[in-house]
Amino acid sequence: MDIEDPPILTAVSSSARQLYLLLRCITSSTKAHVQISEEGLKFSVDEASIMEASAFLDKSLFTTYNFNPPTPQRNPQQSDDSEDEDLDPPNTTPTFQISLPALLETLQIFGLTDPNTTKQSWQTSAAFSNNVLGMNNLCRISYNSLGAPLSIILTEASVRTQCDLTTYEPEYSEDIPFNRQALAFKTIMRGSWLHDALSELSSTSPEQLTMYAKTVRGKPFFALSSSGTLGSARVEFNNQPQPSAFRTPASTNLAAGAGTGTDAGEQAPTNLLETFQLLDPDTVLRSSYKFSLIQKAARAMSVATKVSIRVDDQGVLSLQFMVEVEGGASGVGTSSGGGKVSFIDFRFVPLVEDGDEEGEGVDETMMQYGDGSDSGTGREDEDML
Amino acid sequence: MVVLNFTLTPQAASKLHDLLVCLGKFSDTVAVEARREKFTFTALNSSKSAYAAVTLDGKLFFTKYECIPSSGGPDGRFTCSMYTKALLSVFKGRLYDPLGRDGAIDRCEVSVQERENETQCRFIVKMVCNQGVIKTYKLTYEAVDVMHALFDRSVAKNYWSMSSGVIKEYIEYFGTKTEMLDIFAGEDGRCVFKSYTEKISNGKEILKHPLVTAVAVSTSDFEQFTVQAGTHIVISVKDFKAIVVHADTLKTSLKAYYSQPTRPLQFSYGCDGLLCEFTLMTSGDYTGAPLTSTPAPQTLGSRGASRAPLTVTDRTSIRSDMPPPTEPASRRDRSGRLRNPGSRQSSSAAQEDPESLFIPDAQDARRREDDEESAWAPLDYEKEETLGWDASADHDASVFPTFRDSGSMSTTNMSDSNEVFEPTQRVSQIKGLW
Repeated sequence: MDIEDPPILTAVSSSARQLYLLLRCITSSTKAHVQISEEGLKFSVDEASIMEASAFLDKSLFTTYNFNPPTPQRNPQQSDDSEDEDLDPPNTTPTFQISLPALLETLQIFGLTDPNTTKQSWQTSAAFSNNVLGMNNLCRISYNSLGAPLSIILTEASVRTQCDLTTYEPEYSEDIPFNRQALAFKTIMRGSWLHDALSELSSTSPEQLTMYAKTVRGKPFFALSSSGTLGSARVEFNNQPQPSAFRTPASTNLAAGAGTGTDAGEQAPTNLLETFQLLDPDTVLRSSYKFSLIQKAARAMSVATKVSIRVDDQGVLSLQFMVEVEGGASGVGTSSGGGKVSFIDFRFVPLVEDGDEEGEGVDETMMQYGDGSDSGTGREDEDML
Repeated sequence: MVVLNFTLTPQAASKLHDLLVCLGKFSDTVAVEARREKFTFTALNSSKSAYAAVTLDGKLFFTKYECIPSSGGPDGRFTCSMYTKALLSVFKGRLYDPLGRDGAIDRCEVSVQERENETQCRFIVKMVCNQGVIKTYKLTYEAVDVMHALFDRSVAKNYWSMSSGVIKEYIEYFGTKTEMLDIFAGEDGRCVFKSYTEKISNGKEILKHPLVTAVAVSTSDFEQFTVQAGTHIVISVKDFKAIVVHADTLKTSLKAYYSQPTRPLQFSYGCDGLLCEFTLMTSGDYTGAPLTSTPAPQTLGSRGASRAPLTVTDRTSIRSDMPPPTEPASRRDRSGRLRNPGSRQSSSAAQEDPESLFIPDAQDARRREDDEESAWAPLDYEKEETLGWDASADHDASVFPTFRDSGSMSTTNMSDSNEVFEPTQRVSQIKGLW
């Protein structure tokens, strides 16, 4: 009955790989919610309601993006919760579930035959844009009507593959509430730093990840810590190198020589922590999360150029990754001209703190190192606390 | 309260990674011994057939080194044991990056937190990276007493040294599944490294001797080669590979010291304040050795790994006045019937147990038997040899347990109390009995 109607969504992308790289960042559960709107496609997954991840495929990623909102009368199968407000905007953003692994597999069919993508250069993909040349490779996504399968047509040269992915009724799920208006802490840093830190901490095979943020004598300080059976590990981020860095002439000569060569250009102007806002600078913000969940964001961290770490007043953590995909059409990129920028969001519910002594001990030594003085006494730290 | 702080350059930290990788091939845990002027990593494999010690010089290897043990004065030490895996997760590869990319460190600071008023004792490693990132690891450790294997180079008459890079080329030919390495000094000016295995797969009723690789090297290719012709010495391929690969990271030459099969062999190399010594148990082909008129009590070529432990003795208490290393005791331990004075006397060639380190050849032994008591120098091995003799026991050659017991007793005492045993009986008296 919908045949005469225009399909709800027709989108054409010149690079399935872009989509693949973005969606791969959130792959953690079997099914993903897909939300179609005028602005683009939003894929979101959640994990036991304590973690959710979403990737937004902006319409600018597609060369063609036609969205025709379904008329409210024609969607009796639309979710019940919006039934009594038929004409409201929520109805005009169709939502369904889809198997994310299947979708990724589908997008990869293309990749397997594409010489550019068979190199498996996923990690550095954002930096290379040689895929632009493969303009004959097209990925067409269409969603004809509510309840219809999501069909993906991949074309390469004379080969055309059509995959119809079954769509499922959306599950009722509530977003993890994140209060943007009451942020306890916010910082922006390079995604690779966070990825590096996480991989360091994973060596202790920890259960939980604890995050500290504070201001030490006006300087921002951010640390991630975890502990396992073999010991604990902590990665600290200070905006300025510690004064004691020049204690060892031999190493600093080399490091400075090597460091300034590469860093002077790009690193020196930007601080490690680009933005650092702490609601209450006098206290140490401390909150813990399940390590295995944070680790699911590792792939996003590795490809992201920047990550915005936000913690609201309830301790909910939001990680927003800015991923630069190889530039195709007109740059929507805000910060860096050229590549298009997409965002991937993660949210985590914090673990309840028990305030055990072990944690306190970690905290104390952290304060010592944060001060950059090896002889920092505990008393001084207590004053700070 | 122990004070142990040291700072490493990125290069040194990277060397630490390399040596930990090497030690990790011997043991799951690595023991640490810190003294005022040096820092030692030791590893002893599970079968106690291989012992590795890497000594780092306080002044040369570290940019800053401070160690004040809690007790013991100038000879005091701090010892502990840690999982190699845990240390390796801290001292990762690529710590030293000449280009200063992400993850490269500026310096590495290590300290030990062991205070009475702290509940936690931790080995703290602080990696200070460029751009203000600091990674701090607190590793748990176990307080252990560190033992050292003693190796007396003065008895190790056989010696060779060769560039590790060259040997590394040779080991690439060795089959991956081979277990044993026979180093044979031929009489034709060649040295043959032969890797082989004696594994027998019973499950399929197949006798497997898969791949035997022999690499013959002209002795002129060695930097130095002083080995008695015809000497076979057999060690584990795996150990040898681990050592060579590590030696190659330092680009130094590998030196080997050994006396004869079944006596320990030592590999040694090092540079820039880093000294590695690996003491390995050996087995060997007795038929080729000078000493072998008697069939060996052990099966030939039995794996070094299956042998009895090397005796490891606390070096702290063994001073220079300490008589010989304790290997003799362990040897007696191993084959309890060795020290039988009667049999030694009765048959000239057959009396020597092939395992015996102390009597290099039959003539020598006979000559020594005839020597005066005064010729038995107090610090000589022969005195140590005497220690196992129990004068009160029956000297009947058939009473073997006596000697076994005395041997083991000696071992225990040596390692525990380090008490020096005096000979319980004059040699001349014993002579009279024979």
